[in-house]
Amino acid sequence: MAQPLVIVDNVVKRYGNDTVLDGVSLSVPTGHATVVIGPSGSGKSTLLRCIARLEPIQRGRILIDGMPASAGTETSSKGVDEVSRRDLSHEVGMVFQSYNLFPHLNVIDNITLAPRRVRGMSRADAEALGMSLLKRVGLEDKRDVHPARLSGGQQQRVAIARALAMQPKIMLFDEVTSALDPELVGEVLKTMRELADAGMTMLVVTHEMGFARDVADDVVFMDQGAIVEQSHPNQIFKEPRMQRTRAFLERLLEREGVSRRVG
Amino acid sequence: MTDLQFGRIVEYLPDLLRGVWITLGLSAISVSIGVVAGLVLALARLSGKRALNWPAYVYIEFFRTTPPLVQIVWLYYGLPILTGRDLGAFGAAAVALGLNISAFFAEIFRAGIAGIDRTQWQAARVLGMDLGDTLRFVILPQALRNVLPPTGTTVIYLIKGTALASAIGTPELLRVGQLIANETFRPVETLTIVAVAYFVLTYPIALIFYAIERRLAAGRA
Repeated sequence: MAQPLVIVDNVVKRYGNDTVLDGVSLSVPTGHATVVIGPSGSGKSTLLRCIARLEPIQRGRILIDGMPASAGTETSSKGVDEVSRRDLSHEVGMVFQSYNLFPHLNVIDNITLAPRRVRGMSRADAEALGMSLLKRVGLEDKRDVHPARLSGGQQQRVAIARALAMQPKIMLFDEVTSALDPELVGEVLKTMRELADAGMTMLVVTHEMGFARDVADDVVFMDQGAIVEQSHPNQIFKEPRMQRTRAFLERLLEREGVSRRVG
Repeated sequence: MTDLQFGRIVEYLPDLLRGVWITLGLSAISVSIGVVAGLVLALARLSGKRALNWPAYVYIEFFRTTPPLVQIVWLYYGLPILTGRDLGAFGAAAVALGLNISAFFAEIFRAGIAGIDRTQWQAARVLGMDLGDTLRFVILPQALRNVLPPTGTTVIYLIKGTALASAIGTPELLRVGQLIANETFRPVETLTIVAVAYFVLTYPIALIFYAIERRLAAGRA
């Protein structure tokens, strides 16, 4: 097994009295695509948000590339804010379900803003980098367009390019195709597939089981704030070890079967 | 003397023009104070930190709920008594109006910033941007669009509000008008000309705000 890039160690996350992550431990190996599946409310997205340090955690700790990124506020005097944001922010890229592009900036400025401001890159260098990334996601002709003029799929690909521009060591994808019209899902998944093939370490929360089956090196099944099962996609999709995993996959396949017949 | 006689006022036009300049000066200074202090107050209110939020809240409510005329008088007559520092009539009026209007700007800006979806903050944060850069490049440019119309209205309101400085003798537009009216016994003609002068001052401001609004909208399409 490759060296873990992200280590999630016994993390507890609560909102008030509501425990969303209940002692989650996970390691994401360098160069692997790890896909997290599970019913809504299982804590998948929260796990990603904790790794991206958008949420403080109450217990446990998260290490990124061997460095502490987040520690439980109840168990450590060093909360999420103690670790400087600038130090680790480069390591983690995140793409959201709702793209979250900056609507007042055109495509190239969306991509170059953070490299220029955070990394101190010159505008010329940042734009050269931005253009190479736009080429990579197939949108080099959209350089000067504002996000509102783009389709959802195009916006999401710009969002991926924007995250890549910070040259992160790991990319987090939080249900990035869930808000898209069905015919636009493919182009985003293709971009993600290419990223995985290029060796990018990825942690992907998705309902796209086809993507999980074909691209994932590891599949993690979460339910009720805990990891129920983690294994290779061949294993988990063909012979899930746990009853809960099996029930979830059967419900999902049933629905896909129905929609396929109807469609 | 039943007819209107604007001709008599003409000889006072240079005085009126001086009044216009003082009104403009009062407006420029108080808008500048108001915008800067208003932004600081809005950020303090939104900071989520009690030590910042509370003083800002008290400040805003104090200046919103007491009459600006009284605030001007306090600063003009009260400040020298309390501190020995005399700002003069113009200075006291400009500062008092600026402090007063900052409370209104603060609420406008607070609403504008709070209206930006929190996912924009999150997107900036995962890109590693600090608070200052996030505000400057992501949040405020978007908030600007939302706050332009009420900000324009407030600026126009303030320009006319500078007439309150006449109460402490600042020779601004309205004060000059009153003096001329007293001398000529022609209050209707004089004040009508004063009103036209206020219109000439404020309407271009309205047009400028419309133009900025249109430009920002065009950039987004």
